[in-house]
Amino acid sequence: MLEFLQELSQMQLIGGLTVLSLLMGAIIMTVGIIIAKIVKLLFHKYYAPTLQKDTAQNISKLIYFGIIIISFMVFTSSQGVDFSGLMVAGGIFAVIIGFATQSVISNLISGVFLMIEKPVKHGDTIQIPDMSIYGTLLDIATFSSRVRKFDGTIVRIPNEKFFASNIRSLSTSTVRRADITVGISYNDDIDNAISVIKKEIQSTMPFILSIPEPEFRVKELGDSSVNIQVLVWHPKDDWSQAQPILLTTVKRALDKSGIEIPYPQRVIWGAKD
Amino acid sequence: MSNDTVESNFSNYGVYQINENLELFLPNTIIKIEKIGDGAFSYFRRDSEGIIVEKIIPKKLNNIRIELAPIRPLNHPAKRTRHMFLKFDKEIYLSHGSAASIFVHCPIEIGIFLIHDSDRESLDWITCNPLNSRFGLSGSPDTGILCKYAKVSLATDYSDSTPYVEGVMKIVIENVLASGQNIDKVIFPITDNFLYYENSKTIIDGIKVVLKKRAAVSIADIKTDSLSTEWTKSPTWEDTTVTDSMEMGLE
Repeated sequence: MLEFLQELSQMQLIGGLTVLSLLMGAIIMTVGIIIAKIVKLLFHKYYAPTLQKDTAQNISKLIYFGIIIISFMVFTSSQGVDFSGLMVAGGIFAVIIGFATQSVISNLISGVFLMIEKPVKHGDTIQIPDMSIYGTLLDIATFSSRVRKFDGTIVRIPNEKFFASNIRSLSTSTVRRADITVGISYNDDIDNAISVIKKEIQSTMPFILSIPEPEFRVKELGDSSVNIQVLVWHPKDDWSQAQPILLTTVKRALDKSGIEIPYPQRVIWGAKD
Repeated sequence: MSNDTVESNFSNYGVYQINENLELFLPNTIIKIEKIGDGAFSYFRRDSEGIIVEKIIPKKLNNIRIELAPIRPLNHPAKRTRHMFLKFDKEIYLSHGSAASIFVHCPIEIGIFLIHDSDRESLDWITCNPLNSRFGLSGSPDTGILCKYAKVSLATDYSDSTPYVEGVMKIVIENVLASGQNIDKVIFPITDNFLYYENSKTIIDGIKVVLKKRAAVSIADIKTDSLSTEWTKSPTWEDTTVTDSMEMGLE
């Protein structure tokens, strides 16, 4: 066995690297990978649940690849591998690679800044108006972020673009506002219309906040109708219980009270001779 | 309808053993549980909003036991918060350095619990007054606290509970600020307060509110004041169903 190992140590490959050192390297790297996997597993079990999902994922990657890099360094230093030649060549290549991977590095740095700044977090509903993207943020990874659109498709956005864009968060505030505009006839009483709409909203829409109260504004004296804007607040997660049914509720209230929602109309005056 | 009439017409809170069938009547709500074969019971409920819930309860025993009990008013229309916003119908003025003790009505919901050994498992819950079950915001839209909101009246004492709809809660308010204060609302996490029942009436652990200065800012320091009573303590339960995140939430 000893002789076999000695033979291996004498079998030179390149740059003073022997088969034995390569074997040792493989063992060190294997042990390193096993340790990295165990540490990653323990991290996921004990610490990740207390962190945000994307933060936990990134720390997990950092730990995993960190241990592997350390293993590689242990291997190189223990075997006395000389990388000086490689470093000279690497310097030339670094410039070339630097230009080639400019966007990759940019995405990486943007990803780091996104993780530090945390403008939005995993699970938030967001809109990126510049890219006409809106949906739920799935994660912010090293190079890109993923958003699940409302149609179920997933969009991958490079972190560089994501970081430089305007991001509208729809989940950060405790409550949100929904609004619609409805027109009533000029013959109908505005106060009465507002009163019946308010009562119908309060009695049939349980997700509409009582405080702040629904707000009503006469928005416009239009061509055919007096246009009233109805603004209501609702818990941030209950948009579907507010905006899509608000118009139906308002129409039902006006119908019940016999208040007319006029069709577009024109009064034509004939000129006298 | 007087409280006495209400009590005589509707089922009381408490533990019920069901061998064959049971009907419980609450304001605008009916609950039916009946045996549908060996080892199975059916559950039917129609509530004040006309919503019907039907369930099958597989059970090896020949009978089951349920408990009808008041629970905290946090589940209707959906569990979104643990805070309660009680808006008094009349303002209370408190001079500086004084304290007052008041009783207020506080909305409740009703839980139906399946008794399993010594545990209570939530089978269903209802509200008999859905119109008084709304949300309110304390603070600004971005940093404020979402609360269950109710406009409430003052009660005379613990016996003034409105059966199935409102419990009575004691609030002790102390003003240690340098000036008199008008108080027309309290906002507090109600998950620290337990409910107790007797027949159809409910009382709730109280709160102690101290109006004081902290770092030059006037604050209301609120602490739960546990009750010592012989009434039966209600099991606690809040809906923990995770809601889907808002979809299509853009105008």
